[in-house]
Amino acid sequence: MLVYRCEDSLEGIFTAVYRIYAERLPREQVRLALDDEVRLFETVQRCEPDAACSEKVMRTLIRRFGQKDYERVCFALAADDPDKAQAVYRTIALGLTLQYGNGHLFDALADPEVHKAFQLSRNVEREFCHLRGFLRFEELADDILYAQFCPKNHQLPLLLPHFADRFPEENFIIYDVKREIASVHPQGKEPFLLHGAEMGEERLHRSAREADYRALFQDFCRHIAIDERRNPKLQQNLLPLHLRRFMTEFSDSTHAADETQCH
Amino acid sequence: MGNCAASGICHSFSADGRCISLLKILMTNECIYDCKYCLNRRSNDIPRATFTPEEICELTIQFYRRNYIEGLFLSSGIIESPTFTMELLCRTVCLLRTKYGFGGYIHVKAIPGADSELIRQTGFWADRMSVNLELPTAEGLRRLAPNKHRKNILTPMRQIQTGIVQNKDEVALYKHAPQFVPGGQSTQMIIGATGESDYQILNVAENLYQKFALKRVFYSAFVRVNQDDQLPALPGGPPLLREHRLYQADWLLRFYGFSAEELLSEKRPFFNVLLDPKEDWAIRHLECFPVEINRAGSEQLLRVPGIGVNSARRILAARRSANLTFEDLKKLGVVLKRALFFITCSGKMMYPVRLDEDYIVRHLTEKEERIRLGSDGMTYWQMTLFDDDLYTCEVPAVEQRRTAVGEL
Repeated sequence: MLVYRCEDSLEGIFTAVYRIYAERLPREQVRLALDDEVRLFETVQRCEPDAACSEKVMRTLIRRFGQKDYERVCFALAADDPDKAQAVYRTIALGLTLQYGNGHLFDALADPEVHKAFQLSRNVEREFCHLRGFLRFEELADDILYAQFCPKNHQLPLLLPHFADRFPEENFIIYDVKREIASVHPQGKEPFLLHGAEMGEERLHRSAREADYRALFQDFCRHIAIDERRNPKLQQNLLPLHLRRFMTEFSDSTHAADETQCH
Repeated sequence: MGNCAASGICHSFSADGRCISLLKILMTNECIYDCKYCLNRRSNDIPRATFTPEEICELTIQFYRRNYIEGLFLSSGIIESPTFTMELLCRTVCLLRTKYGFGGYIHVKAIPGADSELIRQTGFWADRMSVNLELPTAEGLRRLAPNKHRKNILTPMRQIQTGIVQNKDEVALYKHAPQFVPGGQSTQMIIGATGESDYQILNVAENLYQKFALKRVFYSAFVRVNQDDQLPALPGGPPLLREHRLYQADWLLRFYGFSAEELLSEKRPFFNVLLDPKEDWAIRHLECFPVEINRAGSEQLLRVPGIGVNSARRILAARRSANLTFEDLKKLGVVLKRALFFITCSGKMMYPVRLDEDYIVRHLTEKEERIRLGSDGMTYWQMTLFDDDLYTCEVPAVEQRRTAVGEL
């Protein structure tokens, strides 16, 4: 058995998939791995990410299975799971061999690998949908919007296009506390990711009116709830506690520094 | 600034478990009407306030930038006259769209009795408009909202409907023509303030969907905020279970191909307390079951309790490449707890289940629930050791043979 050891990124995994097809390897005999763990009778081959190869895989996926399924693949590959590369590779290989049509890549749900990829994709998509709504920005003194969050999966590359489309005229920063990655969107320019960024609470100076709007929104959330219908359990089902950590309406109005590590 | 997502985005959930996605505010809480159920009615002595259009715009923009909200939901009490109020609303949304350049979602109430031209103009700025039906029947409206009339409510509803249809043609012809209420219209009504049955309410909803092409009908359980002898006392709190059942039935109407007549009838005008409307329908139509998962059509699958729109679609796709088992169904998202009584996989049921009303009901409902809710609404009975005289009838030979070979 041959093991392709690839980088944990969209580009890295797509490149490995490309290599398997380009070198005409027997597809059952290859495994994609993200860690260095080797099993018995396996030879490991390193696979460096290559933009051109991954681009080709991307185009093939979109052409064969459509935009929606390509997005699903991207979601699955953003998951925080060591086996995602293999599951996605097997799903793609099955789809190509059996010639599934547009929008049918994940049809064979009875297959364990396809089901795994589908599950990963669905989990990431769910978290993405949550974060689209639950992410909170604060206005800093120099008219920059700043948001921090701590997602289970690597959500920044997925969230950035959404917010760039929504606030094209704003300068904003979204900071992933767990991975220490910041995405920066300068007004009217291309957004970019910043790895290894450190955001200390002491460096954040909030604008003068920020506290007022926080208080207004907290008031709004309190008053919109109908006392006769109070149902904290339902609220918690829909908005679990771990997601509330950075949300305005669930923090007290003072800006308490939150230095605890997030894991 | 701003965009809209087709699915809508929930930005928070309030302490009553309802989604907060829009900044839901009243332009003013002044009102010239005296509706018995409303906190802001004329005869209540409460502090009154009115926003200026600029204040609302500024608040919306600042909330939207911080990702607190998805857009604005603007309603209002009636100040001076319906037309005057509608003009205020129209001015606000126009300002928000033009001067403040807001591209997010806007939902505006159309005020019944307002000038139709104003409603038309507002429709070009808003994503969705709605006219409140308030109460399900004209009789209830006469009793609790003496200043409102059914006809006045339905007129703007019809106007918006025809506006949307005409606009579709315009947009098809001229690609950049302004869109009129692109998000469709909705309405809402209060449940439990007047004596309507679920059957009447569901029929009203079905009519609204079919004749007025509404996107959604919202039901809100009546909360008693005013002391008034015309209003019912609700010692057990607002009728939340009833509201929940109505929403379940509403979904069955819109996505599952059910009709109001199938779910309820003159003789059974209320929903079952213990079973959801779909289970209840299935129990009364056992002749349609069991359904074979590997062969049944999508309409048939949709009628099985525990199978939703998504899982039905996944079943149809997945069974092309494999013969599905119960284990697979679990993975596809089918709720086997409910579905197992009604389905077979390759001709076999999951457990040896009897297709029998009493048996299924007892297994579908939990014991505690049954005790808590009493036998209210339950038409099926519990078997006891003491009604063995019911079973002394002669067993036909066919039945005996079937029992012997283990057929159902």
